[in-house]
Amino acid sequence: MSASTYASALGLEAAAVLLCAVVTLWRRSLGAIVRALAIQGLALACVAMVIGLHQRDPGLVVVGLLVLAAKAAVVPMLITRVVRGDPGSRETQPLVNVPASLVAAGALTFLAFAATRSVTALVPTTAGRLIPLGLACMLVGFFALVTRRKAVSQIVGILLVDNGVALVAFLATAGVPLLVELGASLDVLLAVIVLRVLATHLRSRLGPFDLDQLTELHD
Amino acid sequence: MLVALLALPVACGLVCGGAPWRRGLGWLGTAAASGVLVTAAVLAVDVVRTGPVTGLGGFLRADALSAFMVVVIGVIAVLATWQGVRYLDAEVAAGRSSRRHASLYLVLVQAFLATMLLAVLAANLGVLWVAVEATTVVTTFLVGHRRTRSSLEASWKYIVICSVGIALAFLGTVLVYLATLHVGGHGPHPLDWTSLVAQSHRLDPGVMRLAFALVVLGYGTKVGLVPMHSWLPDAHSQAPAPVSALMSGVLLTVAFYGILRFKVIADGALGPAFPRTLLVVVGLLSLLVAASLLLTQRDYKRMLAYHSVEHMGLIALGAAAGSPLAIAAVLLHVLGHGLAKGVLFLASGEILLTEGTSEIERVPALLSRRPVLGGIFGFGLVALLGLPPFSLFVSELNMLRAEFQVGLGWAAAASLVCMVVIFAAVMSHGRHLLLGPRGTQGPLTTPALVAVPLVGGLVGCAFIGVSAWPLQPLLHAAAHVVAP
Amino acid sequence: MVGAGISSAVQVAVVAVGGPVLLGVMRKVRCRLEGRVGAPVLQPLVDIRKLFRKERLRPDQATWIFALAPVVLVSTVAVAAAVTPLVTTHPAFGAGSDLFVLVYLLLVGSTILALAGMDAGTAFGGMGSSRAVTIGALAEPALLVSILALSATAHSSNLAAIVRATLAGPGSVATPQRLFALGSLLIVIVAESGRLPVDNPATHLELTMVHEAMVLEYAGPDLAVVTVGEAMRLTLLLGIFVNLVAPWGVATTTHAADIAVGVASLAAKVALLGVALSVFEVSTAKVRLFRIPELLAGAFVLALLGVVSGLVVK
Repeated sequence: MSASTYASALGLEAAAVLLCAVVTLWRRSLGAIVRALAIQGLALACVAMVIGLHQRDPGLVVVGLLVLAAKAAVVPMLITRVVRGDPGSRETQPLVNVPASLVAAGALTFLAFAATRSVTALVPTTAGRLIPLGLACMLVGFFALVTRRKAVSQIVGILLVDNGVALVAFLATAGVPLLVELGASLDVLLAVIVLRVLATHLRSRLGPFDLDQLTELHD
Repeated sequence: MLVALLALPVACGLVCGGAPWRRGLGWLGTAAASGVLVTAAVLAVDVVRTGPVTGLGGFLRADALSAFMVVVIGVIAVLATWQGVRYLDAEVAAGRSSRRHASLYLVLVQAFLATMLLAVLAANLGVLWVAVEATTVVTTFLVGHRRTRSSLEASWKYIVICSVGIALAFLGTVLVYLATLHVGGHGPHPLDWTSLVAQSHRLDPGVMRLAFALVVLGYGTKVGLVPMHSWLPDAHSQAPAPVSALMSGVLLTVAFYGILRFKVIADGALGPAFPRTLLVVVGLLSLLVAASLLLTQRDYKRMLAYHSVEHMGLIALGAAAGSPLAIAAVLLHVLGHGLAKGVLFLASGEILLTEGTSEIERVPALLSRRPVLGGIFGFGLVALLGLPPFSLFVSELNMLRAEFQVGLGWAAAASLVCMVVIFAAVMSHGRHLLLGPRGTQGPLTTPALVAVPLVGGLVGCAFIGVSAWPLQPLLHAAAHVVAP
Repeated sequence: MVGAGISSAVQVAVVAVGGPVLLGVMRKVRCRLEGRVGAPVLQPLVDIRKLFRKERLRPDQATWIFALAPVVLVSTVAVAAAVTPLVTTHPAFGAGSDLFVLVYLLLVGSTILALAGMDAGTAFGGMGSSRAVTIGALAEPALLVSILALSATAHSSNLAAIVRATLAGPGSVATPQRLFALGSLLIVIVAESGRLPVDNPATHLELTMVHEAMVLEYAGPDLAVVTVGEAMRLTLLLGIFVNLVAPWGVATTTHAADIAVGVASLAAKVALLGVALSVFEVSTAKVRLFRIPELLAGAFVLALLGVVSGLVVK
């Protein structure tokens, strides 16, 4: 594929990943947030596949398909199951309100750019220049994790962090060794399964829960 | 031999998984742990004599540092699995858990041991990461084993925070991989630790700085260093006592082992200044937070958990100093802390079992009501506070000495102040717990089967404190792995 | 050869006449989609003519601001229409078609209308003015940053220069930078011109009004001028948007034929965008007033992402 098509496709997909991260801070409905997550998984898989096609590396394309299956299909499905059991599926008042969160997301993006200057200097390729977008997605996920109350939103935060890290991994090194990549994807899947199991336990014991109610343990 | 080390707990886990709980299965777990300890001792002797051992075609590697960690894991595993039998017996007898659930516990503990062993024996940073990730997943279920509301909340918090930490550590590993690729490390195992150390002076400093910071934050989450420590008190206080002992005594230090491995590479790439500053900051913060929060604890298990944060802070400070004396002291501290904290958590589990509450206010006068248990708890606290003849005294002293030698005197002084505050806090809590009039009941006895391993652990800790004789060459060799 | 002045005059005329026609088209599309026949497309022009013949009524306590506001509104929008590259890339005072000039011209119009709303002395007028000013204040940063993102490729904040640069380099249509910036710009345009989902122009309930409440007291010729001004404003904003997105058809020379083609293409593109907006409006509900800051903050962050992507993808 030609250099400019490759550059624009990669740029679009990386930007889509960051956009989906911002959308999870923007929208309040959990259903919309999960849809954004699915689209982000799709964009991430496309990044892997595009890089694989460009470098004629079939392993990377396979990894992209795996990522597609895991992050764009299975994980959102698991989360929707958790959400469906929860009747109050709108976000309660987050700790930081939406406009402030969005401005914080913008600030975090700039922070990501500042922090990864040395990395982009080391990898001056088309893919390397997009690394800050991955780190920004990770920081936005971290922010979402810290400022959200509902359990599902915290799961979403973890997934954003994971997706951001995976994006950086794909862009920086055209995929880490297959074993580690499998480990990473497995990690996401396991984490979500564990979280789903926990959520089910919690719900069976407490009824529909808001993490705000889980404040027995504190100092 | 390395494969045998891993195979033991895996095999035991598979056996236990098949059957519902029986006493015998529990003892089988202890036997597996003892097997691990014996193999670890053999491995340590071998490594000290002939140098690093590899296994599974270069996949596993044991140098002196790994061998020492395996010994630590073995020792505390024996203690924890021994007590585990009693814990599960009580749970099944009280009807709080079914037999199936109890054997699930056994399987999970063995899996936990296997993943920790894999983490310290990994030759490859990627495998290290996968193993630490696996420990997170396994321990989540263990923390929530009791299925009460607060333990479920604790395990939720645990997995949420540790998943983020693991992701950060993954990013750090990816960045290190990126740096090696740039200097041409395209071999079959680009993340192999020995080759990374060999090339470390050629790695790009900017990238390595970011990578090391991410690794300290990421693996530091699992170590319990501030600012990612908030899962620790909840998880360690809500988990069953043997699991708390394992997690507090071993898992924290296995995660710190990961940081140490990265530190060697970072020292080569960046020089000692940056890693030292980072570890000093994190260590001092942990000490400060632990000191301030220990003053107001009302729950003895939480108190012990915060104490772990303090010790991890001390270990971070010692590692920051970086000289061979400092690292040897850190490793000795790891073993001593593991023993003492393990004994204390197991004793507290016994107290919880018999008293039914974990609040300090409601468990007074242990020494007069339950002399043996109170004595063990008291001596354990003494050990943990760093008083002679226990080994923590020696290790803390040497860490402070090394810090002064290296020029971190101000940090050492600050840590001393924090330790004094912690001493006062723990003493006051301990006084309330242990001393006081007996009341109308006569003294209750503790079964020997419970007391023996705990006493044995304390004696071992004292023995090492007086003379590190059997461990000295191992400590030397391990220190020189990290600080050549 | 047509002079720059004539082409600017053509632009103003097109906007002035085309504005109400655009409103008519949008209303017609909306009615059809709702299953009604709807008024004829030229109805707004007829309404304006009718209003000019009615009696001029002004509140007793209104001052000169009330009388002046419609005139200032129309004149600022007309000046903006004259200097922005709608039909041609070389309008009169082309050097003045800077984005800041445009934004502040529009701002003058909105401000004077807000003042007039309060000038009437009614509660609804004050309410409408405060709401409109809030929305305007929140939309402005997003507007500025999104045009900044678009201007980064042309290395100039002059709108004519941006359009010329986009015409010259067609390969850069679908970069993330442009997509983010244009998404943000669309949200801001919807907010500034008072369309759904920010404000319902067809509402009769005063408490839900934002813009209509400001002009509630206007009657007769004043109302006609205000309506023309509003229509021109919407057309201007949509015209700028289509020329930033897809500037093909804009006249680059000053031949009369090119100008005619430019007029036709502008009309077609703006009509298309208006229809699309109407379709969107039919399918969406009005956003609650206190959720509008969230929407505009999102637009701001989108624009910021556009700037950031511009730094990345060179």
